[in-house]
Amino acid sequence: MNPVRMQFVREKVLEITREEHGEEAVKGGNPLQGLDILDVGCGGGLLSESLARLGAHTVGIDASESNIAIASSHASADPRLSADSSRPSSKGSLVYRHISAEEILKEQKRFDVVCSMEVLEHVDNPAGFISSCAELLKPGGHLFLSTIARTPLSYVLTILVAEHILRKVTPGTHTHSKYINPSELISFFSKYRSPSDEEGMSWITRTYEHGLPMRTEAEVRGMVYIPWKGQWMLTPRGASGWGTTHCNYLFWVRKP
Amino acid sequence: MSLSSTSSRVFRFASKKGISSPLLQVGRNISTTTSATHHEELDVVIVGGGPAGLALASALGASQAVRESLRITLVEASDLSKVRDWDPHASAFSNRVSSLTNNSRHFLKDVGAWDHVEVSRTSPVEEMQVWDGISDARITFSASELDPEPTMNPGETRQMARLTENLNLQRALLRHIATLSEVRLLDNVKVHLIQQEEREGGGGWPLVHLSDGRVLRTRLLVGADGFNSPVRSYAGISSYGWAYDTQAVVATLSHAPRSAFQAPNTVKYQRFLPTGPIAFLPLSPTVSSLVWSTKPALAAALVKSDPMILTSMINAAFRLPEVSMRHLHRFILETGASLTPIQIQEEITWRERSHDIDRHSAYASATSDVVAAGIPSHDSDMLPPLVASIQPGTVASFPLRFNHADAYIGEGEGSRTVLVGDAAHTIHPLAGQGLNMGLGDVESLARCIQEAVLQGGDIGSHTALSPYAQERYFENHKIMSAVDKLHKLYSSTLEPVVWARSVGLEVLNEFDFVKAAIMMNAGAYSVRGNPAADATGWAMAAKGVEGLATGAATAKIVGQGIVGMVGIGVQNLLRTMGTPNQQK
Repeated sequence: MNPVRMQFVREKVLEITREEHGEEAVKGGNPLQGLDILDVGCGGGLLSESLARLGAHTVGIDASESNIAIASSHASADPRLSADSSRPSSKGSLVYRHISAEEILKEQKRFDVVCSMEVLEHVDNPAGFISSCAELLKPGGHLFLSTIARTPLSYVLTILVAEHILRKVTPGTHTHSKYINPSELISFFSKYRSPSDEEGMSWITRTYEHGLPMRTEAEVRGMVYIPWKGQWMLTPRGASGWGTTHCNYLFWVRKP
Repeated sequence: MSLSSTSSRVFRFASKKGISSPLLQVGRNISTTTSATHHEELDVVIVGGGPAGLALASALGASQAVRESLRITLVEASDLSKVRDWDPHASAFSNRVSSLTNNSRHFLKDVGAWDHVEVSRTSPVEEMQVWDGISDARITFSASELDPEPTMNPGETRQMARLTENLNLQRALLRHIATLSEVRLLDNVKVHLIQQEEREGGGGWPLVHLSDGRVLRTRLLVGADGFNSPVRSYAGISSYGWAYDTQAVVATLSHAPRSAFQAPNTVKYQRFLPTGPIAFLPLSPTVSSLVWSTKPALAAALVKSDPMILTSMINAAFRLPEVSMRHLHRFILETGASLTPIQIQEEITWRERSHDIDRHSAYASATSDVVAAGIPSHDSDMLPPLVASIQPGTVASFPLRFNHADAYIGEGEGSRTVLVGDAAHTIHPLAGQGLNMGLGDVESLARCIQEAVLQGGDIGSHTALSPYAQERYFENHKIMSAVDKLHKLYSSTLEPVVWARSVGLEVLNEFDFVKAAIMMNAGAYSVRGNPAADATGWAMAAKGVEGLATGAATAKIVGQGIVGMVGIGVQNLLRTMGTPNQQK
């Protein structure tokens, strides 16, 4: 699933950067170079490592101490991720910290990009969690979330099949009622205003028919597993047909 | 303890298994002594500087994103300056020749390596004639049956493949790599030992110990190291295969140019004798290359014999009926070293007379009365030109085998390894697909690595490499089993088999659309990177073979087994119809 998530993050940041600063703004097609990125709930560090390899100054945080230990150990094998890399073009860096999003918010540091992949469906207070992630962004920053929609399809695939039939996931990992639909995220950010800027614009100012937001403000893309390829695929932009965003999906929104 | 005892062996450092052997002891000692020494940190180490290894270095270096973010090193045991400085006379040709399909050539062009190939030393294949050694049933492929579109340049002739000396290609790749400062070549350096770095919790990277004492720690280790691949043994990947009871004899042949009344020397000829196929590959108007697969004893006798004897035998092998070829083989083996060129010439003369072969026919070799300048005989386009002599020092032979690795990507203790080219698969050269398969691997792997780099992936990880294995494993397997079946089908002299395969071949020759489909599959058409077109080619071929099976059934062929066999054989003959390929 990681290549698809990286593809989405890279392409979306590239698209917005080019839109605002022109085609020439991004050197070598790598828009993440030099950005400050926070990976909330980094787990084993798959996404954090990829972000750092693309030149981002990455901070991976996780509430589980053992996850941070595993991620740190894994990254230490890779000379490209260690701080003293002699390679001039690899300007990226990677730091792991055992800290929660709410705690790191108390520090002054803010980020160009905040990612939280496959975390939201496990959180007890999603609104509070998303607000924390949102507040960790610099103005104009990008928030990337990925999670699972609350549909009959997602029940069958992620709970019935994955947990009970194939047993690929420990039963009880997922709770269907905690799943959040794309439309709920869109309506959340349509009303959302930063606590520091109560008078400011909402993050999503308007939506088209079918409830789709403007592509410069927010975007929803489905992730679909293709069994015969053994790969995840990103569904096309704007696709809302059955099965596209009804299970795993990615969500992007931009801080005004 | 001396390192030389392990110089040619590479093994996995199996500390976990607690096996204690002298070899493993050496490994342990090294690991403790080198753990203190300096490791060079690299991203890609390619072992092997053959065409596949060089092409991979070339392709990776050609991608800006890849060369800016990965440190790439190729290690080769031999002296590459011999290839770099290879500069033969324009009329002298190397005996190792490959038929590069249009797909392979497009790939090399995209990478930027084809521009360094000395094109004047290559020859297009515009037509192919393939026939049965027993029944003479024949199939003809012509590049003019192809769409006008697939040529690379407007001025270029339409072609099915391009015959290129392997050295010409390797030199071009080296020249291309020389323009890429980021790609490092280490030649004259052997790989002493490969071991997995010890890390708590596993997941150590490969450590490559070189004969000059350097140790390379690499994210990804690529085995382009040929059939006896040390990287494959390190990765713990077993392979499946066997040696054919066959040797390939290669030589560079000189002959008179084709006359003004004949097609130019751009036709590939291949005759399937029960002992193996003999193929004639055009290189220039007066020079062509030979690949003659035959029984080991006969191959040895041919290689040792006087070049004039070999010349007579080659001419006869394309022309004389199979029964006479069998007698000639026995004659050579029984007479042994005392055989003189005159004796064999007399023997062939006698056989041509007894078969009543007209002196003016192209089928006459010893008794031939065909004058080069005159009007050629009516059947002269059916056969290659008469060989006049063999370029000195070009006769050689090598064993043929079938071998396919069980996997292309190493896992577990052998992780961060990937195989390409002959390290992954070895194939009978009858369809000339060996090098093309290797280049197909390289193209796919380079694309896979580039995509992983763009997504910030770890190019040594199984996730990053699995699309490569998915794309290539089954594709190569199809070609390999097809060529293998074809070899077996044509080794038979059983009358029903010969009849069935001949009917198959002749029927098929009438189906232009099948031939077109097969050529498309053989890479003659430009369908690269277009799976849809590729699938169409397959669907068409399948349809054609269905037709063939029906035709064969109406011809009352008894025994579905034979029909099926012919179906498979012919289908695959068609799709792998390239040219024998003399790559190692």
